[in-house]
Amino acid sequence: MTATPLLSPELVARLATLKLRARAVAEGVLTGLHRSPHHGQSIEFAEHKEYAPGDEVRHIDWKAWGKTDKYYVKRYEQETNLRAWMVVDASGSMGYRGPGAALSKLEYGSTLAAALAYLLVRQQDAAGLVAVGPGVVRSVAPRAAASHLGALVDTLEALRPEGATRLSAAVDHVVEVAPRRAQVLFFTDLFDADPEILRRVAQLRRRKHEVTLFHLLDPAELDFPFEDPALFLSLEDDRQLEAHGREVKKGYLEVLGRWLETVRRQAAEADLDYVLCRTDRPLDEVLLPFLARRERRAA
Amino acid sequence: MSLGFLHPLLLWGLAAAALPLLVHLFFRRRPRPTPFPALDFLFQARRENQRRLRLRKLLLFLARTFLLAAVALAIARPELLRPQEAAAAARGPAATAIVLDASASMTYRLGGRSLFERARQDALQALASLGNDEPATALVCGGGEAPRAEPAGFDKAAVRRVLEEAEPTALHADMSGCAAAAARALSESASASMLSQRLVLATDLTASAWRLDAAAPLVQTPRGAVRPEVTLLDAARGEPLPDLGVADLSVEPDPAAGPRGFRVTVAVANRGRAAAEDVPLQLRTGLAPAGPVALRAFVTVPPGGVVKKQLSLTLPAGGTTGLTVSLPGDALEYDDARALVVDVPREVRALLVDGAASPVKHRDAAFFAEAALASPASPVRPTVVDGESLSRTRFADHDVVLLLNVRSLGPKAEELRTFVEKGGGLFVAMGDQVDPDTYAEQLGGLLPRPLHVVKTAAEKGQPGAAERAARFATLDQAHPALSLFAGAAAEGITGARTYRYMLLRPARKGEGDQVLMAFDDGSPALVAARRGAGRVLLYTSTADREWSDWPIRTSFLPALQRFVSWLAGSLEERRTTSVPVGVPRALGAPEGKKVVAVVGPDGKERRPGSLAGAGPGGAAEVTPDRPGLWQVKVAEGGQERLDPSLAFAAVPDAREADTSRLEPSELTAWFGGQGHAHVAADAAPRSERPTPLWSLLLLAAVVLFLAEGLLLA
Repeated sequence: MTATPLLSPELVARLATLKLRARAVAEGVLTGLHRSPHHGQSIEFAEHKEYAPGDEVRHIDWKAWGKTDKYYVKRYEQETNLRAWMVVDASGSMGYRGPGAALSKLEYGSTLAAALAYLLVRQQDAAGLVAVGPGVVRSVAPRAAASHLGALVDTLEALRPEGATRLSAAVDHVVEVAPRRAQVLFFTDLFDADPEILRRVAQLRRRKHEVTLFHLLDPAELDFPFEDPALFLSLEDDRQLEAHGREVKKGYLEVLGRWLETVRRQAAEADLDYVLCRTDRPLDEVLLPFLARRERRAA
Repeated sequence: MSLGFLHPLLLWGLAAAALPLLVHLFFRRRPRPTPFPALDFLFQARRENQRRLRLRKLLLFLARTFLLAAVALAIARPELLRPQEAAAAARGPAATAIVLDASASMTYRLGGRSLFERARQDALQALASLGNDEPATALVCGGGEAPRAEPAGFDKAAVRRVLEEAEPTALHADMSGCAAAAARALSESASASMLSQRLVLATDLTASAWRLDAAAPLVQTPRGAVRPEVTLLDAARGEPLPDLGVADLSVEPDPAAGPRGFRVTVAVANRGRAAAEDVPLQLRTGLAPAGPVALRAFVTVPPGGVVKKQLSLTLPAGGTTGLTVSLPGDALEYDDARALVVDVPREVRALLVDGAASPVKHRDAAFFAEAALASPASPVRPTVVDGESLSRTRFADHDVVLLLNVRSLGPKAEELRTFVEKGGGLFVAMGDQVDPDTYAEQLGGLLPRPLHVVKTAAEKGQPGAAERAARFATLDQAHPALSLFAGAAAEGITGARTYRYMLLRPARKGEGDQVLMAFDDGSPALVAARRGAGRVLLYTSTADREWSDWPIRTSFLPALQRFVSWLAGSLEERRTTSVPVGVPRALGAPEGKKVVAVVGPDGKERRPGSLAGAGPGGAAEVTPDRPGLWQVKVAEGGQERLDPSLAFAAVPDAREADTSRLEPSELTAWFGGQGHAHVAADAAPRSERPTPLWSLLLLAAVVLFLAEGLLLA
């Protein structure tokens, strides 16, 4: 799959509203990749399957038993029983847009979340939203109605980056409001005050939720292009550091590399789907591999 | 082994090494506020790399500092002088005579040190560079005849002492003569006869110190006369010696400025390559070292030129005083000031006794004399009395008495005799009232010669009288009273016509007289004599127009003023009040006084121990060793005091004030060409080739530059 130039952040940034951005992104990806992996309440017969211990007795096709003297279980395809929670980090650090980026991390993550919501709702899946900063700042319950999409996008658009990051609040919230199995998608830079935050996120996985981590980082955070003396200011508190960019670059990249390696390792250990997103890359480069992976998993 | 610099002044460039520190302290770039979310990683990175960063910063700072210092040092061209023994061995043993120039021009200060100090250091280094098998001698060249040097020997400590104890003088040095004396010292050394001969001359290469028309020095050896190897140690290191100095100072009376008015002429010489603009010039008066400033002026002197400045000065009081002209101090202080002693005319009180007073002014005998003496520029203050009021006048209240056609003094004659013998002056002019017999009776002993009869050369008013009238034919222009009329100025006197005059009898034996002026028939016109402590002038014609027309001629006014001044003793014989430094001056003490000390311009007394000839007779001789005003202290009546009349000025030697330098090639050619002589910039002899360090320093700078680049990368 190749990147579509039309979905580059620079072009997306030219679209005025998040709704337009989400639609453009969603239309730009292959919607056909999406199929519900769940089988449940039937509205459309799909196929017969020979009964095996563990299958529900109520799904036995008695007519088929009468004709064939064998127990067959009816299987149905359903398109609406996927419930997805978009957890969007709206802390102060997400408002950062470095010198080489067209979108801030929050804008990039919101666009991704809205596009996925668009795709989900279009497939009759339910999409919900949890916005988190120092705590849960907004929460929208998942629904599959098309009209719900507008409310979702409006909520995303109204988010303003501020305060510290506490993803654990979002984890607690999802645990509380999503007792059933669901897809939980995190859009965050993981600059959390809790160094063990991934272990907290892993709790969701243990509860059978499908967890995907969109790790959003600005190109400036990954490459550290600063060469001159600078007074670096924190976006979440009052801390500041005076340093010469050229002098600290090497050390910074070393520390960052170690951290990313730790994040990847912990995500793999917890069986989390981890996607590192540079905010200067086209959005379909993030979405298409994710959808393809999901398709393969469903198959 | 020592370190030297070809351009020590450029060492100021080392200050550039402070630039990195200054930039660090005062020119740091202000950090730009930059929002950045991953601040924790930055903190962590800094914590982990703090020590490495600090070390890198320190190394960077040191690299930059040493880089600049290395470049600055390299520009100053440092040289490492090789060890002495090795150098001596390389050039072979030689008998060496070291000549140290101690002349006045060596007091020139260059780079904070005098040339003499540099030259002495060079000479000591040259001595230290000699091997143990090389005999040496030293000669300090400063003033007077070329001194003799000890034959070259192996007592290096004694030679070192000679050099270390040498002091710069204010005198002229004849370096040609000193080089010859040094060559003689080598010739006289038995230990030097089988060795090579070497002359080392530490000097400033000023042209005036060398006589290149004389023969170059040769050393006499058993093998015959040989040219010595000559090393000239240039104390100025090849640099020019610009100087601004007072080249001359002269003073002459300025009648327009009053009786004590003087015209001071100052010549300022610029021996530099740049014009000296608006140089302040001060004229101080008085014999004390720091007298009051009487005048200030400015001069502009072109490069290599001399400018004369005239200043008009009126001194407030008579007597002897000093004039000192000074310029702002420069590298050569020797000629920055010049002094002169000047005798300022005292005010003379003259009593004019009018023997033929007349209500018609031009017929009054005292009219012309009073007019002449009371002119604005005259130092004489005349008082006129007639014969009747003479009895109420005291001669002792005056300095000079002028008897103008006086018939008789009566009882005042004795008082007049006493007045003259005690030092008063007497001028006697003739006229119709004068009776030779009466004068012989009353003033017989006072007059230079007795009066005889009146001679009429021509009757005034008769046709042809002007042609037949007597004229002044001879003048004793050497006499102070008539020195003013030397040369063409005598025409002012010889043009006068005298119709009638008094003939004189011959002088009595033992009464010395001197005819200062005579008529064309040989008859005396003006005769001088000393009587006791006083002086007498006898003029054989009238001081009005009765017998002569001289009173209406322009020469009469200065002549009469000079006569009265001489009679009062204020017009002394012309004395030399200036003497060049180093030239002996005889100090003839006045009668009854004894010279006990002289006080130099530095304020220090030189007592009889250092005064040649200061015996009981009171006369002494002193050789001034520095320019400036010198005062003489005399003992009189058991009291010691400074006698201004003996003060004199010592002037700088013009040859030493001239700092023009010789071209080294001229001097080496004189010594026999480059095969025999060379000019070295410092004390290291030619065979002692210094190792240049500047290339190493530049290499170090390149390495430091690369190191800085690596650290930055």
